[in-house]
Amino acid sequence: MGGAVDYIQFVFMPQVFNGLTIGVAVILMALGLTIIFGLLDVINMAHGEFYALGAYLGITLASHGVGFWLLLIAVPLVLLPLGYGSDRLLIQRVFHQKDRHMLTLLLTFGLAIIMEDMFKLAYGPNTIRPETPISGGTELFGNFFPSYRLFLMVFGTVTIAAVWLVVHRTRYGSMVRAAAFDKHMASSLGVPVGKVYSATFAFGVALAGLSGVLLAPIYSVFPTMGKDFILMAFAVVIVGGLGNIKGVVFAGLLLTQVQAISSLYISPVWADPLVFAIMVLVLMVRPQGILGGKLGHA
Amino acid sequence: MLEIRDLHVHYGLSHVLQGVSLSVEAGEVVGLFGRNGVGKTTVMKTVAGWVVPTSGSIRFDGAAIEGLPSDRICRMGLGMVPEDRRIFPGFTVEENLKLGFLQCLRRSKAESKRALEQAYVRFPLLKERRKQIGVTLSGGEQQMLAIARVLVGMPRLLLIDEPTEGLAPMIVDEIFSTITSLRDEGIPILLVEQKVFRALDVSNRFYALERGQIVAQGEASSGRDRDALLNAVAF
Repeated sequence: MGGAVDYIQFVFMPQVFNGLTIGVAVILMALGLTIIFGLLDVINMAHGEFYALGAYLGITLASHGVGFWLLLIAVPLVLLPLGYGSDRLLIQRVFHQKDRHMLTLLLTFGLAIIMEDMFKLAYGPNTIRPETPISGGTELFGNFFPSYRLFLMVFGTVTIAAVWLVVHRTRYGSMVRAAAFDKHMASSLGVPVGKVYSATFAFGVALAGLSGVLLAPIYSVFPTMGKDFILMAFAVVIVGGLGNIKGVVFAGLLLTQVQAISSLYISPVWADPLVFAIMVLVLMVRPQGILGGKLGHA
Repeated sequence: MLEIRDLHVHYGLSHVLQGVSLSVEAGEVVGLFGRNGVGKTTVMKTVAGWVVPTSGSIRFDGAAIEGLPSDRICRMGLGMVPEDRRIFPGFTVEENLKLGFLQCLRRSKAESKRALEQAYVRFPLLKERRKQIGVTLSGGEQQMLAIARVLVGMPRLLLIDEPTEGLAPMIVDEIFSTITSLRDEGIPILLVEQKVFRALDVSNRFYALERGQIVAQGEASSGRDRDALLNAVAF
């Protein structure tokens, strides 16, 4: 009996906790991806590289003496105009052509390759490990958790709630949802659809950059960091239903828990295949995702 | 006020509008009639900026608007009430109406509020249901919402496409009386409608469209013109 309690407290719970930390970060990343898809119908293949860009920007700014707390604001603020410009100058160029799904996919994929090489040129191929901004641990339910991970969970949850509020409770959010559902009608009511598209791409990209800053102290920073992480975000977006905010939160928690808990019982090498097997299964049985329904479609 | 000259529109290879010319003057309702698929809705969509014409000109108050983005066209005072109402899901009645505020840039909050109150006076039912999700309203109520949503932007001309399609007879009466009162308030309307006789009763003039071309036009009150219309579109 005591053994079972100990097992839950010292083996199971820390693993659930680790899963939650990663889950919150994955959700932040996937939110940007799903909002961009829900509104623009664009699958942003460079999303992972914007995440890496956030982490690298954080390192550069930190080396100029910007403190970690300021980075949480400064990096998304720098990424906003970059994202806006990327949409205006690149995506909107091909957006109105007939085969825009293929064109935007290829375009953002090309952008990803260029960005990754630029990281290698500017920062070198080696892994950089930023200092943990909050060191030490905190005792919770008789367990010892790294304080930074606790912070990440709380901060991430607040940010996710803020994103939900922006989309559902602000004027900008109502323009996004209206344009996502019916861009012609929205435009005829005065919604500047082109600007809303670019602003939303910028918003999604800034969220990716923010997750980059947040996760850098845990996962380190290297040129291909985006590739490794984006796969998980794609799985979350697909399982939750493309363009669905609640779905992302649900699937993000579900998949990262599956990943975390299964590594207790099977080799961690098999945890990722398990996650992607779930994704494939969802695509086969319920291609619209578990919660279905695109952004703007109620 | 609205002047369409020699408008041509292609959807891929199909030549949908083949030189349409028509006009709407201040204070009048103009009916645009024709069978399904002859291009009536395309005329409306092209004026509203949803479709870019191949050639031809559209002038509103003397300014060329063909090919402009829809948000700029609506800000000039051209309101679009499309076929199928197109109410936004997940939005309450009032949220749908407030989206219409964007038609006017630089309007004070007080003015917007007054426009909303006016819409509620015109359609008291919408006020009762203002917290209800828009798409859960009945067809007739959704039509009122679609009209009200544009009216809160104080348009100077309205495009109304098939407003009574699929509605119960009593609601149809209500929609037509709304159109009459809008005309009496001095808002000119370009009206596409299948119920030709009802529409003629509220119209000043009409055009008949057949295979992308205007084949008849005239005064709604003239018996001879009406006969020509009925022959042209073969109802």
